[in-house]
Amino acid sequence: MKKYLLPISLMALSVSTAVNADVRINGFANFTAGMTTDESGLYGYDDSVDFSNGSLFALQISGDVNENVTATAQIVARGAENYEAEFEWAYLTYAINDTSSISAGRLRTPVFRYSSSLDVGYSYHWITAPRSVYNVPFNNFNGVRYDYSSYLGDWEVAFQLSLGEYNESVSGGSVEADELINLSLETTYESFKARIVAGRANNSFSQVLVDGAIANLAPLAPGLADDLALVDDQGVFLGLGLEYDNFDWFVSGELTSVETEDSFSPEDIAWYVTAGMRLGKWTPHLTYETRDGNQDFKFLDQVAAFPPEFQPGLMQAVAGLQGFFMEEFSMITVGLRYDFDTNVALKAEVSRYDNKIDNPADINTAEDTTLINISVNYVF
Amino acid sequence: MLRKVTLASMLLAFASFVSAELTIIVNPANNSAIDDKTVQRIFLGKEKKFGDGTETIPVNQVADSAIRQSFDENVLGRSSSQVSAYWSKLVFTGKGIPPKEVTSDAEVIDLVSKNPSVIGYVDSASVTDAVKVVNL
Repeated sequence: MKKYLLPISLMALSVSTAVNADVRINGFANFTAGMTTDESGLYGYDDSVDFSNGSLFALQISGDVNENVTATAQIVARGAENYEAEFEWAYLTYAINDTSSISAGRLRTPVFRYSSSLDVGYSYHWITAPRSVYNVPFNNFNGVRYDYSSYLGDWEVAFQLSLGEYNESVSGGSVEADELINLSLETTYESFKARIVAGRANNSFSQVLVDGAIANLAPLAPGLADDLALVDDQGVFLGLGLEYDNFDWFVSGELTSVETEDSFSPEDIAWYVTAGMRLGKWTPHLTYETRDGNQDFKFLDQVAAFPPEFQPGLMQAVAGLQGFFMEEFSMITVGLRYDFDTNVALKAEVSRYDNKIDNPADINTAEDTTLINISVNYVF
Repeated sequence: MLRKVTLASMLLAFASFVSAELTIIVNPANNSAIDDKTVQRIFLGKEKKFGDGTETIPVNQVADSAIRQSFDENVLGRSSSQVSAYWSKLVFTGKGIPPKEVTSDAEVIDLVSKNPSVIGYVDSASVTDAVKVVNL
């Protein structure tokens, strides 16, 4: 039986009217070198030159199952993970018509302006998209996504609805989330682009230190322990993006908020603004980014309700746990992109990281330092 | 080889300076109204049908040709590298496939003349009776 399949499918291909009806293989690669000026390091880099942390190699294979269904798989090998190849995405897309499609499988969550091409360094001016905004555990999800894009006069409108779940390693632990619902709306008018995003999911976070602290608290203050714990609690994501790009120069920014109110986890507010000019093959650019997850302690009123002799111990547990995850930092990046060819870009960046809280117990925050990166981005 | 390329690009530069313009061409059977915005949308994969409902198949010229650079800059309004970056976003999200690329005006004319869906661009000096010129 198998013997006949190939000739038949080849015949089907040869009679198809579409120009591209075969299996398509595309790929991209980022080779990035980086180091910090201080021993303390940042984002996996330290004061000796590293070639693997920001490097990756990816292959994408897609093929038409029939006239309306396309199968796509993207395999990514990251230097940060010893180049072990993993399926970043694998999904089927059913094109309902020219404006709508439904995809199912493992997909990218359309939360940010550059979510869809986050790994494809060639597709943007930076070496790495601003981490203060883009480093979230829900960049990929398993489920279903509905995509709509069309024109209303001269306005280009795109809408995406995602439903599903995700599991990811983060902050030395793991997050599991289900009942993810994410909506994004993007509109483009000439050089202007605006997008709004809203998402929610039921989150559970598990990490040795957090689980231990909450287990210790539970016998004494079960209600408080339950409030602090991040177990099946609703997390909410909101985002806003604006862009002006007339191809000679551009300025854009995104503002996001991530919050799981009923837990120890502080609300993170992050944003960046970036601008650059395109001077022939050269694109000099400047970016300011910041994340503020340094908020007032929650649940202090509950601590105050306990007898005074318990309060110092409870206070230590409640504030300690929350403080552990608080972070506040900013980064300024000056960079240059050079379009070496229509599929190769060379880039260099210098970033100054500024930690704004002095919290030795903090798991996420690094010390002030300068990060230098150079990168070659390739697509084929 | 190098000299050939240089000579060819010089000739092309000269040609475009003197008279020749880039011309959008479609099949003679294609009677749909096409303006510059339509061409932009078709070549950026945003418009998949002509006004009469016929499927659109844009045909590009290779990236290192002078006419492609002229098309990207004058019709799409961006450099070839930016167009390539644009497509990389679509390709790696499974949302689009860039137009097929051919190496000469003659190939474009051949494809356009054989299929009412195909739209392309050539140097106006290359235009033949087999295709219809679109006036933007």
